[in-house]
Amino acid sequence: MNRLKLPPWLVLLLPAIIILSAVVLIPLVLSLYSSFTSYRLTRPDSIFNWVGFFNYEKALTDVKFWAAFGRTVLLLTVALNLEMLFGLGLALMVSKVTQGQRLLRTMMMFPMMFSPILVGFQFKFIFNDNVGLVNNALQSLGITDQAIPWLVDGHLAMFSIIFAEIWTATSVFGILILAGLYAIPRDPLEAAKVDGCTAWQSFRYVTLPFLMPFIYIAMAIRSLDVARAYDIVQIMTNGGPARRTELLWTLIGRTGYVDARMGYANAMGYISIFLAIFFTIYFFKKLTQSRKELGMGA
Amino acid sequence: MKTLLSGASRAVLATAALTAAISSFGTAQAGEFDGVTIEAKLIGGQQYEALYARIPEWEAATGAKVNIISKKNHFELDKEFKSDIAAGTTSWCVGSNHSSFASQYPTLYTDLTDLVSKDVVAEFVQANIKAATFDGNLVMLPRAQFDVSALYYQKDLYDDADKAKAFEAKFGYPLAVPETWAQVKDQATFFADPPNFYGTQYAGKDEAIVGRYYEMVVAEGGKLFNDDFSPAFNSEEGKRALQWFVDLYNAKAVPAGTTNYLWDDLGNGFASGTIGLNLDWPGWAGFFNDPSSSKVAGNVGVAPAPKGSAGVRTGWSGFHGFSVTKDCDNKEAAASLVEFLTNEDSQKLESSAGPLPSRTAVWEYVSEQAKDDPYRSEVLAAFKETAATAFAVPPTPLWIEATNLIYPELQAAILGDKTVDEALEDASDAVDSLMQEEGVY
Repeated sequence: MNRLKLPPWLVLLLPAIIILSAVVLIPLVLSLYSSFTSYRLTRPDSIFNWVGFFNYEKALTDVKFWAAFGRTVLLLTVALNLEMLFGLGLALMVSKVTQGQRLLRTMMMFPMMFSPILVGFQFKFIFNDNVGLVNNALQSLGITDQAIPWLVDGHLAMFSIIFAEIWTATSVFGILILAGLYAIPRDPLEAAKVDGCTAWQSFRYVTLPFLMPFIYIAMAIRSLDVARAYDIVQIMTNGGPARRTELLWTLIGRTGYVDARMGYANAMGYISIFLAIFFTIYFFKKLTQSRKELGMGA
Repeated sequence: MKTLLSGASRAVLATAALTAAISSFGTAQAGEFDGVTIEAKLIGGQQYEALYARIPEWEAATGAKVNIISKKNHFELDKEFKSDIAAGTTSWCVGSNHSSFASQYPTLYTDLTDLVSKDVVAEFVQANIKAATFDGNLVMLPRAQFDVSALYYQKDLYDDADKAKAFEAKFGYPLAVPETWAQVKDQATFFADPPNFYGTQYAGKDEAIVGRYYEMVVAEGGKLFNDDFSPAFNSEEGKRALQWFVDLYNAKAVPAGTTNYLWDDLGNGFASGTIGLNLDWPGWAGFFNDPSSSKVAGNVGVAPAPKGSAGVRTGWSGFHGFSVTKDCDNKEAAASLVEFLTNEDSQKLESSAGPLPSRTAVWEYVSEQAKDDPYRSEVLAAFKETAATAFAVPPTPLWIEATNLIYPELQAAILGDKTVDEALEDASDAVDSLMQEEGVY
């Protein structure tokens, strides 16, 4: 009897291939396939109803989809830049501390330990117009006698969401940049000092270029996170009111799970992935460039 | 031994008990369903369990056995029913149902008209029976878990002579608990003193605001959908209904965040004492009048839901019920169980804990029981009056999806992003596209 003999390299790779197929490849292929069907969760047989590019055409010509896309890019741009600035500031300050730095580093990571759902509920309460902390504080201090509709006003609602995002993720930048600060060789800094550079000049022309690779890595990681922002927004505003805070994934989540239109939701999801891919490629290019400038390889 | 009954006495007592039990089961006969096992999928939860404790009585009377094969909340049951439909595993017999979900299962449940006598059906509140009937098929018998909203208000707002005088001078009619939504608007605007006190509030998102808008359209004499489920709300009545929400928001008579509020926010808001008038569900009655949970305890009045300009009360309602599957092997036994779980004794048992019944006689019974408790009597009277003209959600499986298209447009009008005309035009177009895409017409 002839037994099928697989080459050893394949046998060794097989467990990894099987696991990766099961958890990554099959769901991806299935969701890609279903984006070309009229698949509804409530009518399982509709997964065989091939509709070609109908879902993609519908999404690409839908104003609501593009509005959500634009809002997601806005959130990404503002949140990422502010998180980077605050994270940089935080890291620089913590690096100067001589006593209790460990404790500070641990405290810095607290916001990252909360589940996003919890952060959402926390800020939903803080920004509540009637019983929220912010309004109560402002009214008690006599700054306003109005109930400021933080989660309703178009600009304020986006601000509140960005605030919550920044609160929860600034420490990601903080920790990564702090790691960068520890890795900076002392010689160039000392050389700069000897050459008479001011503190700002040493930071701008020595420290910052060394930190850039770390900043870009943090940016790449966080851009993927923010492009998928869902939980915090879902809890705080659910994309509303009147779609004022609708982001890609609140729209896609509602379409897929509440409206049960999984085919259409998957099509929107695949278009949205390009956003994440674009930002990742952009930041990796910047990363390579900054490493080149530091002479850290091509 | 005095405490021991003789065999003969025990037999007599057992027979008497059985006869009494059987007489309350309607059509069921002793041993009628010997050897039959009824599989049931029922809604679970502490407030629903007391009723299930009665099932052994039905088993003893009919000789059948009940096997509860699933016990979950309605959202979970809904998913399970849908996968059962997809997989064809629908040979179980009795299922919990809900008026807001029922339209989605036309292939699952059988018509009870031939299985339950007309006399029994006539004993239920007819508005509920109407809402349990789809395409002429009675798909469930309602249990004593009925929901409709009545108007809670702070009583002392109507005791202040100065306020009453100022109100009459401004609006030209005496200040009294409102009977129309136009009066609610006047009074809410009059009572409002933002940010400390608001005249009223409303659910502002998701299905909740569409439900509230829906009942207002009906109260204005309009319809949300035509008979073919094409949108009908972009009408004069629909515009008047939406204008009511917009006017209150513009007058700052409702909290600025109301478009983000759902039921818990509303209930807690009224209990915090910062809201004058509050259209809300019966489940809050106890909470509002309990000093440990509510600042307005002892100052709560309850009136029937006000009427719109067409003289119709708002009355968006929902209720639980029990259905029998089409694939059940013994539909008579299943229907007998459903009848038992919704009969007078069952409804008395369930409504004794607070929920509203769906049988006319039980309404009278609970009112009688509450006559020494003025607050409970007031609550029951208000809800009974509102329930008489209540109506369920439009019977389309696309209800939830349609509400997801309508509510952002309602919010856009309320917040001033769009005019009422633009918002309703856009919502109507979106629902029309959905219905056409789904092949409804």
